[in-house]
Amino acid sequence: MFISAVRVISVLATLCALPLLAGCPVEQKNPRDGTTIVFKHGKIAGDPGQFRKLLDRFERENPGITVKDETLPASTDEQHQYYVINLEGKSGDFDVISMDVIWVPEFARAGWLLDVSHLLGPGEENAFFPGPMRAVTMNDGIYAIPWYIDAGVLYYRKDLLKKYGRSVPETWSELVITAQEITGQERGLYGFIWQGKQYEGLVCNALEFIWSNGGEVLDKGKPVLDSPRNAEALRFMRDLIVKYGVTPPLVTTAIEEPTRHLFGSGKALFMRNWPYAWNIFEKQGSAVKGNVGVAPLPFFPGNRTASTLGGWQLGVNRFSRQPEAAEKLVRFLTSPASQKTLALSVGYKPTRKALYKDPDLMRQQPFMTSLYGIFLRARPRPVTPYYLMMTQVLQPEFSAALAGIKSPEAALASAQKQVRHILGEGP
Amino acid sequence: MNSRDQGNRFVLPAVIALSLVTVYPVLSVLSMSLHRKLLLFDISEFTGLDNYRFLLSDDRFWNAFNNTVYFTALSVSLELLLGLGIALLLNRTFRFKGAMTALVLVPWAIPTAVSARMWEWMYNTDFGILNHLLGLKINWLGSPFWAMNAAVVMDVWKTTPFVAILLLAGLKMIPQDLYQAARIDGAGAWSIFRRITLPLLMPVVLVVLIFRTMDAFRVFDAVYVLTGGGPANTTETLSIYAYKVLFQTLQFGYGSTLAIVVFLCVGAISLLYLRVLTARAEP
Repeated sequence: MFISAVRVISVLATLCALPLLAGCPVEQKNPRDGTTIVFKHGKIAGDPGQFRKLLDRFERENPGITVKDETLPASTDEQHQYYVINLEGKSGDFDVISMDVIWVPEFARAGWLLDVSHLLGPGEENAFFPGPMRAVTMNDGIYAIPWYIDAGVLYYRKDLLKKYGRSVPETWSELVITAQEITGQERGLYGFIWQGKQYEGLVCNALEFIWSNGGEVLDKGKPVLDSPRNAEALRFMRDLIVKYGVTPPLVTTAIEEPTRHLFGSGKALFMRNWPYAWNIFEKQGSAVKGNVGVAPLPFFPGNRTASTLGGWQLGVNRFSRQPEAAEKLVRFLTSPASQKTLALSVGYKPTRKALYKDPDLMRQQPFMTSLYGIFLRARPRPVTPYYLMMTQVLQPEFSAALAGIKSPEAALASAQKQVRHILGEGP
Repeated sequence: MNSRDQGNRFVLPAVIALSLVTVYPVLSVLSMSLHRKLLLFDISEFTGLDNYRFLLSDDRFWNAFNNTVYFTALSVSLELLLGLGIALLLNRTFRFKGAMTALVLVPWAIPTAVSARMWEWMYNTDFGILNHLLGLKINWLGSPFWAMNAAVVMDVWKTTPFVAILLLAGLKMIPQDLYQAARIDGAGAWSIFRRITLPLLMPVVLVVLIFRTMDAFRVFDAVYVLTGGGPANTTETLSIYAYKVLFQTLQFGYGSTLAIVVFLCVGAISLLYLRVLTARAEP
């Protein structure tokens, strides 16, 4: 009896230790004595084979370097957690990191990224859109190179606007009037849908209302959340639901896909979303094919349109054992040729401005190149290493204001106080 | 060397072991709570009582505090009432009594995270059995009013068996001859319950209350799995708030402050109960 218990325990102990042994970093050398670099990224949209082809081209151009690409979980929160845990543990198991635009300042401040400014030629940073460039620059260092870009846009139903003789709204009040008029006569049609669940997407949406009213979150690094302009913008979001009745209450629990489904099945007149939805609406069999238009988001009188910047950037792990090879891959993937290939094959929107005048792209992806003006003006969320802590505060406060649990002023005052505390400005 | 010294020597190892596993961590959390400590950026500055001063005016803390008190008060009182009823029923003799007792225990035996997932499906607006049976379309976990009550119902379902079993044990300890004597004196069922059962059960009730109040005040898994603290933080309890600050954003300073405050609250509650217990035991 006793002996068998001991045996069971020792077997268990061995089993437990196995993953540890397997996890030991093993120096990876291929037969030609070259280097292997590991590239971590989220799921590649569309056909992953297209992306592998691009990596094969890199390997041909750089003999001796092998690229292993590894896909992370689909949720960006899980990707972020993966990086934080591994980089806090100084892991060198991956060399090239793909990062959401809001992570770069945090990772750079934590000392996990190599400065890659030398990868850009003199003045080359001007070849990129200004928004992403601002998001990767910290204290004169450049810690990642923008890879592809995203920004919030307004989708509208061309057929319905035409039927009622309405033009595309430029201001928020025009949008409300148009939506009220058309939904008053069309049964089962929602006026304007967007993303209002308590998550990062809510912050993206709310910032677009706030910025388009001349509001701000940070001013020279100091929080300025509790301003009348910000409160006005938040109140307008709530009023869209309760006062004007153009937004259904379901948006307070909606993320991108449910709103995309509603709009795609013809149940909404206007929608705020990212450009990815366009290709789905234009597919064969879509209920709204040929009837969808895209415009910049509206603004409040006396201000201008503002889109929240999204997109992904490539950086090099500070703990990488092959930084030179990793830098070559970053340089290659963000080059005009690679960005063009990815734009044509999987629809990733290039971060280099010149590509939007490329004849092939203009012919094959006319929708993408039409977004040039929106991308040019897209604004990054507050560029600060503390952004991920700040958004944890903003999400519930914005959500409370939308749900009517707090007044916009109370929600913003509370957010202001908490953000000050995070930034270390005392209680 | 007298026997007292000898006794102390025997106790010493236990004292050292306990200090290592309880006193040291508590002191370490206490010291962290006096710092602005951001693990990611290697920031660690001593800020004295700043965190505590901020906490007093932190709306989110008071929101979490109120949520926790509401959850604790409602779920513990419901569990006590239902548990007492079930215990009284189980204390009678009837067929299949053993099987019934075992069945009652099933919810308690299911891991909390699993039962929370189960309830999440039952509460689902479109596919949930609850809306199906009631013929309604209520967004139970999405509405600020229903979400916390939905969590309370789940906790009551899960923990009532535990209360019932403890109270049943207490009922078994009441000598039967007291009941016989009462019946001979012509006492009715209600006065027997009020004058014999309840007073003699009181010590067990207090023990149950201590266990349940402390558990409910620290509630994390049930609510976290069910709602994640939403909508708009209306179900965020103190433990969930502390978890989010500590482990989602790695703010170890303020997170420790929150943990200390939860610790103080639970400590105060248990002292209060202990005082009531000893006060009852003395006369």
